[in-house]
Amino acid sequence: MSSANLIRIALGAYLLIFFSYLLGPLVVMSLTAFNSSSFPTVSPWACFSYEWFDVLFNDKHIRDGIYYSIVIGIGTVILSVSMGLAASIVLTQVWPKLRSTYYTMIIAPILIPGVVLGISTLVFWDRAGAFLGATDGSFLHGLFHNGIFLTILGQSSFIASYAMLVFVARLQRFDTGLTEAALDLGATHTQAFRKILLPFMRPAIASASVLAFLASFENYNTTTFTIIDYKTLTTVLAQKVRLGINPSISSLAFIIIVLTIFAALAFEAANRNKERKLAVRKGKASAEKSGVLPGFMTGNPAAIVLVLLAFVVIVLVGTAQKYSPEACKIQVREAKQVEIQQRIKELREARRIKDEARAAEEAKQPAQAPANAPQNSGAFGNVFAPGNLSEEEAPASDPAPSSGTGAFGNVFDPNNLNSE
Amino acid sequence: MSSGVAVDLENITIRFGDFTAVKDANVNINGGDFFSFLGPSGCGKTTILRAVSGFLEPSEGRVLIGGNDMAGIGPNKRPTALIFQNLALFPLMKVWENIAFSMEVAGASAAERRKRADELLDMIALGGQGDKLPSELSGGQKQRVAIARALCANPDVLLLDEPLSALDLKLRQHMRTELREIQQRVGITFIYITHDQGEALTMSDNVAVMKAGVIDQIDTGHNIYDDPATPFVASFVGENNVFRGKVKSVSGNEAVITTNRSGDLLTRITPAQVGKLAVGDDAMMFIRPEALELAPRDADSKTTISANVINEEFEGNSFSVFLEGDGGKQIKMSVPNLGQDRISVRGENLSLRYDASNAVTMPAGELASE
Amino acid sequence: MKKKMIFSDFFKNNGVVMGCLLIGLVSFWLIFLIILPQLSMLDYSFRFNLPPAEVGGPKDVYTLSNYQHLIYGSDTTHQTYNTVDLKVFVRTIIAAMLVTIFNIFLCYPLAYFLGQSKGSGFVRLLVVLLIIPYWINEILRAFALRIIFGDSGLLNEALMFLHLTSEPIDFIRQDIALYAGLGYAYILLMLFPMYNVIESLDRNQIEAARDMGASWMRIHRRIVIPHAKPGIVSGATMVFMLSAGALAAPQILGGPSSLWFTQLVYQWFNDSLNWQQGAAYAIVLLASTIIIVLTVMKIFKVNMGDIGK
Repeated sequence: MSSANLIRIALGAYLLIFFSYLLGPLVVMSLTAFNSSSFPTVSPWACFSYEWFDVLFNDKHIRDGIYYSIVIGIGTVILSVSMGLAASIVLTQVWPKLRSTYYTMIIAPILIPGVVLGISTLVFWDRAGAFLGATDGSFLHGLFHNGIFLTILGQSSFIASYAMLVFVARLQRFDTGLTEAALDLGATHTQAFRKILLPFMRPAIASASVLAFLASFENYNTTTFTIIDYKTLTTVLAQKVRLGINPSISSLAFIIIVLTIFAALAFEAANRNKERKLAVRKGKASAEKSGVLPGFMTGNPAAIVLVLLAFVVIVLVGTAQKYSPEACKIQVREAKQVEIQQRIKELREARRIKDEARAAEEAKQPAQAPANAPQNSGAFGNVFAPGNLSEEEAPASDPAPSSGTGAFGNVFDPNNLNSE
Repeated sequence: MSSGVAVDLENITIRFGDFTAVKDANVNINGGDFFSFLGPSGCGKTTILRAVSGFLEPSEGRVLIGGNDMAGIGPNKRPTALIFQNLALFPLMKVWENIAFSMEVAGASAAERRKRADELLDMIALGGQGDKLPSELSGGQKQRVAIARALCANPDVLLLDEPLSALDLKLRQHMRTELREIQQRVGITFIYITHDQGEALTMSDNVAVMKAGVIDQIDTGHNIYDDPATPFVASFVGENNVFRGKVKSVSGNEAVITTNRSGDLLTRITPAQVGKLAVGDDAMMFIRPEALELAPRDADSKTTISANVINEEFEGNSFSVFLEGDGGKQIKMSVPNLGQDRISVRGENLSLRYDASNAVTMPAGELASE
Repeated sequence: MKKKMIFSDFFKNNGVVMGCLLIGLVSFWLIFLIILPQLSMLDYSFRFNLPPAEVGGPKDVYTLSNYQHLIYGSDTTHQTYNTVDLKVFVRTIIAAMLVTIFNIFLCYPLAYFLGQSKGSGFVRLLVVLLIIPYWINEILRAFALRIIFGDSGLLNEALMFLHLTSEPIDFIRQDIALYAGLGYAYILLMLFPMYNVIESLDRNQIEAARDMGASWMRIHRRIVIPHAKPGIVSGATMVFMLSAGALAAPQILGGPSSLWFTQLVYQWFNDSLNWQQGAAYAIVLLASTIIIVLTVMKIFKVNMGDIGK
């Protein structure tokens, strides 16, 4: 074997290990979302089930957490993007001797541990309130001890640095002559900013906003100190995970992973499309149009994968409407029943001589016991079924139907929707 | 026609920290003139332009436009429009939006702006191209759009900062003519910055030649070429042969210079320096290559130079003969091509003559670096 | 005089409205979100934890007691050392360093591979795959590892299935899960700075070196690594700071008996409600990590300007 081949094999093995380390845990976690076992695990595999999504969607804490995470995310995006943009513009104009000091100051928040930022924010605004003489119950006191207010400030203090880095990269390619040209043509400074610099910065503002929102959404270290009596998705999750893990968290992770993959693919597809258009415009690539695929998908694997993935998700959601784990659960249950009846038969055989009538009565009781298990037949169903959208109460909390009578999936029965 | 507005620079000095970029500049530009600042890069000509357009305030002195002091008035309030060296077309706006930008910031409606932009596009022969992006235009087209954009603001003064430097030679020559035509059509004052003497001489009514922050001479292109005021102007504008020496005698606007190699030579004193040369002063005499010719046997020795031929080059319409000059400098003679095979042989000693009116002398000073 | 000129230039370049807006936003950020909060935390760390009524009273004086507590514990005679907290501190710093080194070795080959194979479809796919875990919540990533490393987790199941072990291994108590989780959490912050600098390395340099007969090792030691140094140090700085300051991973993956220093801070704040003591611990964490980072940057001659590229 040649050494080039050896290197190739080593590289392949290394890539495999690296990506299994990176993606393996996420895949395993996603799978556990579909196991009916009440502990997140892939083995032993009990039943394929959507029930944990149901549990997730009915969790008020998580819903509240998502709501506040979004509110805080929006606040943080607005504050940190504007501060980051201002800081990057100032950086291009600051006196050269002051430049490196200034840069150190605006980059430092990235390196300060999030815990420290959270604590300092909390302490400072507490002190500021005391300094301003804000008493308990006053507006200022309320504001300076408000979890949302403090979290937005605490997160923005370092997310603004990330935003600043995005802007600096873009500003390096800005020709300040353009602003001068606008001023020369009679624009005010504000007009020049709005009409020339801002449009140029728009792509950077968009990516900085996405970055800032995601950073805010997933922040834990700072938020856990500043959030006080509110909760965000991450603090809710952290609390849940520390108290005990269950697969509804996996189902949340699965949803986030799918959304992320969608976003990443859409971004990649859009990029490819832009490149392709540019190439066509420059006349480099003569459009090799295939009759089968729509234009934007030619030479754009990301777009193809995106469409395929969308298809898979539609199928998945579709089956969630039809599929019910109860079939599997019944099998498990039936298997158990068969086993039990087998043993009962043996018992009966042994006891028949003694008391036939008593043995016959006993055989009925265990058969009813499993039927009382709660039925979470809803899966996604109650979320996606249009008729349910307006209803507060999820049909999944129906009283357990009696076993054996096709009760499963009656949630999806169109007649049911009307009647409820 | 000359409805233009005059621009006056009074004792302008501009400093950046310890560095003086422009020193005590006094320029009076007549309304409707095409006025050029000519100088090597770094001589301060762009700085002057930025002071006129309002991007920087002079450290000392005043800028007057139409007689009004511009101190404290920002670039967006001055009646000037600047065409940038790299044109600075807004890349994200369509061509017509670029052209009508000054109307947009003034609050004009889209229809009005479009109408005016289309008029200007017709004027610059780009009718129907308004919906393109600047990146889709050629270099010359971008150039014209930049001019239209500046003119759309109805400026009293148009400032141009080496706008042709990015174009290739042919286009540059074509745009010279076009710029001059536009200027004559609109009749406003043009102030043009360039390091290219060809541009300055062909287009301008008047030219200011600058060196290291100081204006050496302001005059018509013709006079600058024929009667340079300083050794710098003489050596920067066009090709020139320099002869160093001492003044032997002066009479009126004529002088005799004792040169190191060629003995006493008769010359004319450049008009700006008449009366400033005394016997015994160090002087420099300049003779253009085309003013030298092969001397007949009986030539007057006071207008004859003899030197050894180093090299000869054929240039098509002329021959260039290079001879040994003094101080390591070569003497260049330009002989029109009238069908000769050659002019000289390498190493040959040649006698060259000139007309005393074509030799200009001035006090010795700094030459333009090659 | 000069400063005045700079300011007037600034307003001249930006106009009064924009100039004020820019200065206002930047000063709000720097003063109210960074400098004053850090200073007030520092101030807090030198004060006693007093009931609200006594704040500002005669007992409200500066003290070193919060810092002494880290070294000596509640022992006021300073005879014995606070071995519990000090151990946690030392362990946190050393483990964060080890995690950083582990990440450097793990990421370098991939960064080199990605950086030097330009723009093929496969590489682009890999980059997309890399970005995906980056945007998954830190908590969820720790949770994913917990599923794998748990008593009846996938790893134990697999080991037992292969008969490599008969009893489940307690990865959590052994802190293996924690270190794997910390390495996992910030791996991309190591990879991307490295990738960016290696990408900017001219491939011809490597080919020239190979042409002159340099060995594979030597090419990396003499050409690639010196070029990639700012990226490596930048990535290492971020991974170290974030690992040392991590809270989620230790809370979720840490064993019940071993703590991370940030957990002590958290406990002082949220469980003991002693903000002053918590602030002192936070200051110790901040100061020690910054000193370590600055020292490393000095040793490797890397500037602050390289961070974040």
